[in-house]
Amino acid sequence: MPKRTQGVLKALGLRHRMTTVFYPVTPEVAGQIMRVKELVSVEEVDRPLSKEELKAERRPDPGFWLEKAAPR
Amino acid sequence: MFGAFRPTNSLGGGLLWKIPWRLSKFQKARQRKRLRAVDVLVATVDKALQRNGGMTTRAVERWKEEMPIEQVMVPKDKYTIFDRKEKGYRKSIRKLPKWTRVSQRLNPPGY
Repeated sequence: MPKRTQGVLKALGLRHRMTTVFYPVTPEVAGQIMRVKELVSVEEVDRPLSKEELKAERRPDPGFWLEKAAPR
Repeated sequence: MFGAFRPTNSLGGGLLWKIPWRLSKFQKARQRKRLRAVDVLVATVDKALQRNGGMTTRAVERWKEEMPIEQVMVPKDKYTIFDRKEKGYRKSIRKLPKWTRVSQRLNPPGY
Protein backbone atom coordinates (compact mmCIF):
# COMPACT_ATOMS: atom_id res chain seq x y z
CA MET A 1 0.00 0.00 0.00
CA PRO A 2 1.25 3.57 -0.47
CA LYS A 3 3.45 5.10 2.21
CA ARG A 4 0.66 7.44 3.29
CA THR A 5 -1.68 4.55 4.09
CA GLN A 6 1.09 2.65 5.83
CA GLY A 7 1.79 5.78 7.84
CA VAL A 8 -1.83 6.01 8.95
CA LEU A 9 -1.74 2.41 10.15
CA LYS A 10 1.47 3.09 12.03
CA ALA A 11 -0.02 6.20 13.59
CA LEU A 12 -3.04 4.21 14.74
CA GLY A 13 -0.75 1.57 16.24
CA LEU A 14 -1.99 -1.25 14.03
CA ARG A 15 1.14 -3.29 13.62
CA HIS A 16 0.02 -6.81 12.74
CA ARG A 17 -3.19 -8.37 11.55
CA MET A 18 -5.91 -8.73 14.19
CA THR A 19 -4.44 -6.00 16.41
CA THR A 20 -7.01 -4.08 18.41
CA VAL A 21 -6.59 -0.46 19.42
CA PHE A 22 -8.89 1.93 21.22
CA TYR A 23 -9.38 5.59 20.45
CA PRO A 24 -11.86 8.25 21.53
CA VAL A 25 -14.55 9.27 19.07
CA THR A 26 -13.18 12.40 17.43
CA PRO A 27 -13.26 13.74 13.86
CA GLU A 28 -9.48 13.31 13.67
CA VAL A 29 -9.59 9.60 14.39
CA ALA A 30 -12.62 9.24 12.12
CA GLY A 31 -10.60 10.74 9.27
CA GLN A 32 -7.75 8.35 9.95
CA ILE A 33 -10.16 5.42 9.89
CA MET A 34 -11.61 6.64 6.60
CA ARG A 35 -8.11 6.56 5.11
CA VAL A 36 -7.73 2.86 5.89
CA LYS A 37 -11.36 1.81 5.80
CA GLU A 38 -10.73 -1.14 3.48
CA LEU A 39 -8.16 -2.57 5.89
CA VAL A 40 -9.84 -2.32 9.28
CA SER A 41 -13.12 -2.95 11.03
CA VAL A 42 -14.56 -0.57 13.60
CA GLU A 43 -16.77 -1.00 16.63
CA GLU A 44 -18.06 1.52 19.13
CA VAL A 45 -17.49 0.45 22.73
CA ASP A 46 -18.07 2.07 26.10
CA ARG A 47 -14.61 1.78 27.56
CA PRO A 48 -11.22 0.68 26.25
CA LEU A 49 -10.00 -2.77 27.24
CA SER A 50 -6.50 -3.25 28.61
CA LYS A 51 -3.98 -5.67 27.14
CA GLU A 52 -4.77 -8.27 29.81
CA GLU A 53 -8.50 -8.01 29.15
CA LEU A 54 -7.94 -8.48 25.43
CA LYS A 55 -5.84 -11.58 26.08
CA ALA A 56 -8.46 -12.91 28.50
CA GLU A 57 -11.10 -12.56 25.78
CA ARG A 58 -9.04 -14.71 23.47
CA ARG A 59 -8.18 -17.38 26.04
CA PRO A 60 -10.47 -20.39 25.76
CA ASP A 61 -12.17 -22.10 28.64
CA PRO A 62 -9.56 -24.37 30.35
CA GLY A 63 -12.06 -27.20 30.69
CA PHE A 64 -11.16 -27.97 34.29
CA TRP A 65 -11.21 -26.31 37.66
CA LEU A 66 -8.82 -26.79 40.53
CA GLU A 67 -10.37 -28.67 43.43
CA LYS A 68 -7.43 -28.61 45.80
CA ALA A 69 -3.93 -27.30 45.11
CA ALA A 70 -1.21 -29.89 45.72
CA PRO A 71 1.41 -28.87 48.34
CA ARG A 72 4.80 -28.14 46.82
CA MET B 1 14.91 -22.72 -18.14
CA PHE B 2 14.56 -21.47 -21.72
CA GLY B 3 15.03 -17.73 -21.34
CA ALA B 4 12.24 -15.80 -19.61
CA PHE B 5 9.44 -18.35 -19.88
CA ARG B 6 8.37 -20.93 -17.35
CA PRO B 7 8.36 -24.50 -18.63
CA THR B 8 4.66 -24.94 -19.45
CA ASN B 9 2.37 -27.73 -20.46
CA SER B 10 2.02 -26.94 -24.15
CA LEU B 11 4.94 -29.10 -25.19
CA GLY B 12 7.49 -26.68 -23.87
CA GLY B 13 6.55 -24.05 -26.42
CA GLY B 14 3.27 -22.39 -25.47
CA LEU B 15 2.42 -19.93 -22.72
CA LEU B 16 -0.20 -21.16 -20.31
CA TRP B 17 -0.90 -18.27 -17.95
CA LYS B 18 -4.63 -18.48 -18.40
CA ILE B 19 -6.79 -16.73 -15.83
CA PRO B 20 -10.48 -16.30 -16.73
CA TRP B 21 -11.64 -12.79 -17.57
CA ARG B 22 -14.69 -13.19 -15.36
CA LEU B 23 -14.70 -13.48 -11.58
CA SER B 24 -15.90 -16.79 -10.19
CA LYS B 25 -19.04 -16.85 -8.04
CA PHE B 26 -16.91 -17.21 -4.92
CA GLN B 27 -14.74 -14.23 -5.86
CA LYS B 28 -17.92 -12.27 -6.53
CA ALA B 29 -19.32 -13.25 -3.14
CA ARG B 30 -16.13 -12.10 -1.43
CA GLN B 31 -16.17 -8.82 -3.35
CA ARG B 32 -19.75 -8.16 -2.23
CA LYS B 33 -18.74 -9.00 1.34
CA ARG B 34 -15.86 -6.54 1.18
CA LEU B 35 -18.07 -3.77 -0.19
CA ARG B 36 -20.60 -4.39 2.55
CA ALA B 37 -17.89 -4.35 5.21
CA VAL B 38 -16.79 -0.88 4.10
CA ASP B 39 -20.42 0.31 4.08
CA VAL B 40 -20.91 -0.99 7.62
CA LEU B 41 -17.69 0.70 8.74
CA VAL B 42 -18.69 4.09 7.33
CA ALA B 43 -22.13 3.76 8.91
CA THR B 44 -20.57 2.89 12.29
CA VAL B 45 -18.17 5.81 12.16
CA ASP B 46 -20.94 8.20 11.15
CA LYS B 47 -23.27 6.98 13.88
CA ALA B 48 -20.53 7.16 16.52
CA LEU B 49 -19.68 10.73 15.56
CA GLN B 50 -23.34 11.75 15.65
CA ARG B 51 -23.91 10.16 19.03
CA ASN B 52 -20.86 11.79 20.61
CA GLY B 53 -21.73 15.39 19.96
CA GLY B 54 -23.08 15.65 16.41
CA MET B 55 -19.61 15.85 14.85
CA THR B 56 -18.91 15.18 11.18
CA THR B 57 -15.81 14.80 9.06
CA ARG B 58 -15.28 15.90 5.49
CA ALA B 59 -14.16 12.39 4.59
CA VAL B 60 -17.35 10.79 5.86
CA GLU B 61 -19.61 13.43 4.31
CA ARG B 62 -17.91 13.15 0.96
CA TRP B 63 -18.17 9.38 0.97
CA LYS B 64 -21.86 9.47 1.81
CA GLU B 65 -22.51 11.98 -0.97
CA GLU B 66 -20.53 10.38 -3.75
CA MET B 67 -20.19 6.64 -3.25
CA PRO B 68 -23.06 4.17 -3.73
CA ILE B 69 -23.64 1.43 -1.20
CA GLU B 70 -23.38 -2.20 -2.20
CA GLN B 71 -27.17 -2.67 -2.32
CA VAL B 72 -27.71 -0.04 -5.02
CA MET B 73 -24.68 -0.98 -7.10
CA VAL B 74 -25.18 -2.78 -10.39
CA PRO B 75 -23.22 -6.07 -10.73
CA LYS B 76 -21.37 -4.52 -13.65
CA ASP B 77 -19.95 -1.88 -11.32
CA LYS B 78 -19.10 -4.40 -8.62
CA TYR B 79 -17.11 -6.80 -10.81
CA THR B 80 -15.80 -4.65 -13.68
CA ILE B 81 -14.14 -1.27 -14.15
CA PHE B 82 -14.01 1.23 -16.99
CA ASP B 83 -11.06 0.95 -19.37
CA ARG B 84 -10.82 3.07 -22.48
CA LYS B 85 -8.53 0.62 -24.27
CA GLU B 86 -10.79 -2.47 -24.04
CA LYS B 87 -13.32 -3.55 -26.63
CA GLY B 88 -16.45 -2.93 -24.54
CA TYR B 89 -14.77 -0.20 -22.48
CA ARG B 90 -14.90 -2.47 -19.47
CA LYS B 91 -12.43 -4.87 -17.91
CA SER B 92 -12.46 -7.21 -14.95
CA ILE B 93 -11.95 -5.49 -11.62
CA ARG B 94 -9.34 -8.02 -10.55
CA LYS B 95 -7.00 -6.41 -13.06
CA LEU B 96 -6.98 -3.29 -10.92
CA PRO B 97 -3.90 -3.38 -8.67
CA LYS B 98 -4.77 -3.87 -4.98
CA TRP B 99 -8.45 -4.27 -5.95
CA THR B 100 -9.25 -6.00 -2.66
CA ARG B 101 -7.82 -3.07 -0.69
CA VAL B 102 -9.03 -0.13 -2.75
CA SER B 103 -12.51 1.36 -3.06
CA GLN B 104 -13.45 1.38 -6.73
CA ARG B 105 -17.19 1.95 -7.12
CA LEU B 106 -17.69 4.74 -9.61
CA ASN B 107 -17.29 4.64 -13.39
CA PRO B 108 -17.92 7.26 -16.09
CA PRO B 109 -21.67 7.58 -16.76
CA GLY B 110 -22.90 5.67 -19.77
CA TYR B 111 -20.04 3.15 -19.93
